[in-house]
Order: sequence, then structure tokens, then C-alpha cells
Amino acid sequence: MASSRPLLVLNGVSRSYGPLQALKPVDLAVRAGQCTALLGVNGSGKSTLLRIASGRDTPTTGQVWYGGTALREDDLNARTEIAVAGDPSSTYPDLTVREHLLLVAVAHGAGAGADELVDFALAECRLTDHGPALPSALSSGQQQALQLAAVLVRPRRLLILDEPEQRLDPGARRWLADLLAREKSRGAALLIATHHVELAEAVADDAIVLLDGEVVGRGTPEEALGSLR
Amino acid sequence: MAASPIAVAPPDSTEATFALLRELRRGRARKQAANFVYWLYVTGIVVLCYGGWLVAAIVRALRHPPAPTAQAPMLLRAAPAGLSVLALLLVLSLLWDARWRGPVTLARPTADWLLDTPVRRDRLLRPRYRMSVLTWMLAGAAFGLVPTALLLAAGLGGGGIGHTLRLAGALMLSTALLGGLGTGFAALTQAGSGSARLVRLGPAVALAAVVLAVVAILAAAAGLTAVVGTVVLWSGPWGWAAQGPVALAGGSASLWPLAYVLLALAAIGAIVAGDRAAARVPAAVLRARARTLGEMSAALVNLDARRVTTAYRTATGSYLRARFRIRPPRRRQLALPWRDLTALIRVPSRLAWSVLLSLAAVGLGVLAVRTPHAALLPITGALVFGYLAAAGLCEGARLDGDDPRRSGQLPFSYDSLVLWHAIVPCAVLAVVAGIPAAALAVLTGNARLIALVAVTIVVLVAGALVNTFRGQLEAEMFAGFDTAVGHSSSVTITLWYVTGPLLAVAPMIALCYAAISAHTARRTVVAVVLAAVLATWLVSIARSRARRLKST
Repeated sequence: MASSRPLLVLNGVSRSYGPLQALKPVDLAVRAGQCTALLGVNGSGKSTLLRIASGRDTPTTGQVWYGGTALREDDLNARTEIAVAGDPSSTYPDLTVREHLLLVAVAHGAGAGADELVDFALAECRLTDHGPALPSALSSGQQQALQLAAVLVRPRRLLILDEPEQRLDPGARRWLADLLAREKSRGAALLIATHHVELAEAVADDAIVLLDGEVVGRGTPEEALGSLR
Repeated sequence: MAASPIAVAPPDSTEATFALLRELRRGRARKQAANFVYWLYVTGIVVLCYGGWLVAAIVRALRHPPAPTAQAPMLLRAAPAGLSVLALLLVLSLLWDARWRGPVTLARPTADWLLDTPVRRDRLLRPRYRMSVLTWMLAGAAFGLVPTALLLAAGLGGGGIGHTLRLAGALMLSTALLGGLGTGFAALTQAGSGSARLVRLGPAVALAAVVLAVVAILAAAAGLTAVVGTVVLWSGPWGWAAQGPVALAGGSASLWPLAYVLLALAAIGAIVAGDRAAARVPAAVLRARARTLGEMSAALVNLDARRVTTAYRTATGSYLRARFRIRPPRRRQLALPWRDLTALIRVPSRLAWSVLLSLAAVGLGVLAVRTPHAALLPITGALVFGYLAAAGLCEGARLDGDDPRRSGQLPFSYDSLVLWHAIVPCAVLAVVAGIPAAALAVLTGNARLIALVAVTIVVLVAGALVNTFRGQLEAEMFAGFDTAVGHSSSVTITLWYVTGPLLAVAPMIALCYAAISAHTARRTVVAVVLAAVLATWLVSIARSRARRLKST
């Protein structure tokens, strides 16, 4: 299903914070229907790379291209097509789980189909019973599921997920792998950072291993992981 | 054969633990005592330097109490019900406090480290409760000075310093006993499931307070039969507390010593019952409250008023359940207005306050138009009230300003949220304040002021949004230099807090005053145009703040 032309391209992207270089120059291309996994220990630069890839941070050097044009976060196309799963701790305290999803769906123009879309996402993420609850009543795993559900109720050509397996139990991790595989097969491009090797092996077509902000291995997940061992 | 479990009595580690803590804190206790003395000294200096004139005025008033004013008889008629309302509110405020904080509180480290041990709860909790009783009785006594000042100013303090001191003493004794009574009940509430019952009783007690307030107003305005006053004064501890001051101020309450005995017995009973209950406060309650107080303290140290409010709302259960719902819209353009309306109805008190403040602003605006020669003060009041109403209505914006990640899934750029979040506050203010103001403007032949009202609403909302997207207080703001009247950072921080209202309200005072006092069409048009420019500028500031907030 992967197309030949990359949807997302990062050319020589690096990021420095004062004297600290959090990310050394990286090249990366993600195609539709393809999944790239970023692997590495904490502090290796995965989240920095994801923030740059989603347009939420500006690289110190290099350029990010999305769909053939330079990526800007405020570009309407980018905002509509790039779905970034948020931080589970970051929700509106006064909106219920269902209302969170309705807000995202309606704001993305779901119109009359919003309810149906939300019902589907709630069921898919095993949150149907928690629709009327406020996020503060959810467990940490369910809060993570809410962020994934929010991705499902909106348009998405590129999914950027930072450690989506966090806080999920083993059963939910298997469900997550299925979900990501389905997203791939419907043509979405995926860029995920993960500590979960099994998830990378199950879903990713290629992987990049980062260490201290530098790429130390890349290839298929098996090849990339080999560089770690 | 399976071994049967052997019941082991938990060891009583109380003495050993407290002895160890005393040993570990020996140096700290001395440091705390030194700190206390230092802060006492600083407070004394501050009171003398900044409030010396007030102290001198109070001493003068005590030595030569003013003669009864024309309002004195009216005040005296209102005193039984009026003082009873104050007493009821004092006890209610302590019970309300028990909903989220309560008299039995532990510091977070104590809650985290000692609650799971076999240390006896009564030894751990009762000293805290007793300290709360003492604190609230002292605070209650201090609160008694407020009605004392009111009665003195009306000339009800008697002819000499002796009588004045007796009146002050009576009021302070009453409020101190009410403080003890309220703290005792608060501990009972905290120990049981009283919080929930209290919430259900809230409207009934509030109604009782309103009834007493109405009785006080009626008594002041028209006078009521003595029976009503007697019923109020014997209706409960609030009435007993009012009897001594009423009698000493010259009113009718001949059995006031008996009322004091009853009040003292009730207070002692409540304090003793509270002392027993203090040991039964559940660990979960103690932990939750210690966490809330920890969050609030951290926010206070950072002068982060918003985080203090959020911690309070979370602790009082404002965010525990979604009580009211509005059907979500289907049109994309209505998504954020729906979200903002939902934010308002989820905390209805915010909406109610905003409506009240808007109506007060309209009232003051009408006063300004009717007295154009003395319009400055009412205009200032109207704009301040209007700003506060607008700020209250910007809750949706505030939730996005608190955490820019929340809007991450929405297809709107972060700085454009400023415009989306302006819709609901402007619409609500237009309905609540704009339409009545416009109707009054037409009725009084000042139709051209409608445009001024409309543009003022936009300016006030834009000013509120400037503050909403200000972000968190930055550490650099605490840097500065010492001056003769304090550190310069206090000015920097104050300006940071009031940028929005300052930029919105101050220019609008000048523009509205110019338009209303001159009473010419040309001045009004100039004011409207300049206010529109001001609104545009404020929105651009808010958007620029939002961009900066997003990038950090």
C-alpha cells in the first residue's frame, strides 16, 4: 500500500537548545501506508524529532516537507491531515469523554456524522461506558485511549504518536498494534516513537535508533534493533 | 495442614515515632520560632508604616466615640437580624471550608509518611484540630472588630471608652465563640459524610440567610414588631451571638447573659464533639486535602492565582461531574462557541457572578448618563464591573491558555483561538448588558450611545483575553532592586497581572467620560472609533501572547 512519493520528508533536521544539541542532523522520509518507528532510550531525541516532524517545533537546521511543501504548523492542510496524539494528562477538566471527541469531530467538519464517528471511536478504544465521565475519572490507560480515540474521529493522512503504548495493559497493546496496522492498510502514514520493541516489530516497516540525539541505526526493525544489541 | 493466620496486634509506634520526630526537628523548631518572631516584627513594621494613620484614627475614635448619627436608630432596628446574618455567614464559611480543606489538615509529607503507619490517629490529628480551634477563635475575635467599627461609626458605641470597649469585647466574644462552634461542626462534617449533606443543605441555609437579611432590611426601613426581633434573637446560636452586642448598642435584649451562656455551651459542645471526631477523619480525605493544600501553596509561592483557583475547584468538586449539557452543534463554526458555553454552564456560579456584575455595570452606566457632570466615578465603576464580568465569561479561553496542548487536536491555529473564544463572552455581555443598556439609551434619548456600549463590550472582552493568554509568571519577574517602599519586582508582577484590565479599562474611562460628559454626537463618534482601534490593538496583543505561549 506504500506509495513511492514520501508524504513527510525531513532533510538534515537538527535541534539545539543553547549549547545543548538535543538532535543531530537527521534525514527521514515517511510514505503513505508505511510506518516508521523511532527507538531509543529516554532523552535520546525521539520526542524532539516528533515535535519537529509535526511542525510543533522549529528545527535549528534543516527543513521539513509535508506533501511536497515546507511544513508550517499553522497551515490548514497540515492541521487537518496530521494527527498527533496528545499528552494524556492534557484534557479539558469540564468536558466529558464524549464531549472531547465531539468537539474534535465537529471542529474538523464531521457535521451530522459526528455522533456516529464518536460512537465508533469510543467502541474502538473501549471507552463506550466512559462516554459521560469526565477525564479525571478515567484511569491513566483510559486517558491514553482517549487521546487515541481523538485521533480516530478526525481526518488523518499522517499519524504521529509519541509512545502510544504507554500505560496500556498487554491486551490493549495488542489492540493498539491491530489499530495501527489497520491505519496503515487504509493508507495513512505513521511515525511513532516507542519503547515497546514488539510493537515496532509488529507494525513498523522501518526503524531509526537514536542515541544522544544521533542516529545510530536504521533499517527494518530487526536490523535497527540489531544495532542496539 | 495449612497454617492458620495468626492475628498479630499492630505495634503502637506512636511514642517512638514522635520522640524521633522531636529529636530530628529540634533545630527546626528553634528556626521556626525565630522565623515567627521575624514575621511578627515585619508585620508590625508594615502595619505601623502603611497603616499607622488607620491605627491612630481608631485610637482617636475609641477615646472620643462619635455621637449617634441620623442613621443610628435605623441601624439599631436592623441590628438583631443583621448581626444574626453575619453570625450565620461566619459559621457557614467554616462549614464551607470543611468541604475542601477543613480544620483537620496534615502537611503532605505527614500524610504521605505517617498515615500508613500504626501511629495513633488521635495523637496525630487532635493537635491539628485544637490548633485550628484556637486559630479560628482568634480569627473570629478579630472579625468581631468589623461590626464594632460599623456600630461605632454610626454612633452606637456609647459615651465613653469603657462602653466602647465593652461593645467591642461583646462582639469579639460572640464571634470567637462562633469560630469555635463552626470549627467543631466543621470537624464533624469532615469526619463523616457530612460534606455531601452540607451541599444538599446549602440552598436551605442560604435561604435562611436571605430571609434574615430581608428581615434586617425591613426592620431598618419600616421597623418590625418586637416579636420578630425576639424570635430572630432566640432562633439559634447566630441569634444568641447577636444579643450581647444588640443590648450594649442600646437595643432590646435583656436576657443577653443567658444567650451568652447558651452560646458558650453550644460552642464547647461542638468543640468537644469535634475533638472526638477529629481522630476519625478518613485517611483518603486527609491525603486529598494535603495534596490540594500542597498544590495551592506551590501556586501561591509562584503567585499563580489561576492554579490556586483550579486546585480549589477540583477540591470542591466543581469538576467531579458534568451536571448540565448543551447539545453539541453540527457546524464547524459553532464548535468552540459550544465548548465555551459548556465551560460556563459547568460552573454556573461563574455565569451568575458575571450576570450580576454586568447588571451592576449597566446600573452605574445609567447613573453616569443621568449625572454627566459627575460621571467619572460611575463610569469607572461600570467599566471595572464590566471587565470583571468579561473576565468571568472567558473561562473557555482560560482553559486553553492554561495548557496549549489541550487544543492540539483542533484544526485552529493557537493564536486564532483568541478570536473564537471572544464570541461567547461578547454575545453573553451583549444580551445581559448590551440590550438593557441599549434600551435605556433609546428611552432616554441617547441612542448614539448604543455604538459606544457595543464597542466597549468588545474592548473589555479583548482586555480579558490579553490576561487570559499571559502564561505563567516568569522567574525573571522576581528580579529587581530595593526601593524605600519595597522591592521593585512587586510593581513588575502587579503590572503583569493587571495588563489586560489596565489597557482596556483605563483608556475606556477617558473615552466614555469624554463622550458622556460632552453630550455631542461628534465626541461619541470619536470615542467609538478610538475604542474600535483599541479593541483591535488588544486582540493583536492577545494573539501575540498566545503565539509566545505556544512556542514556550
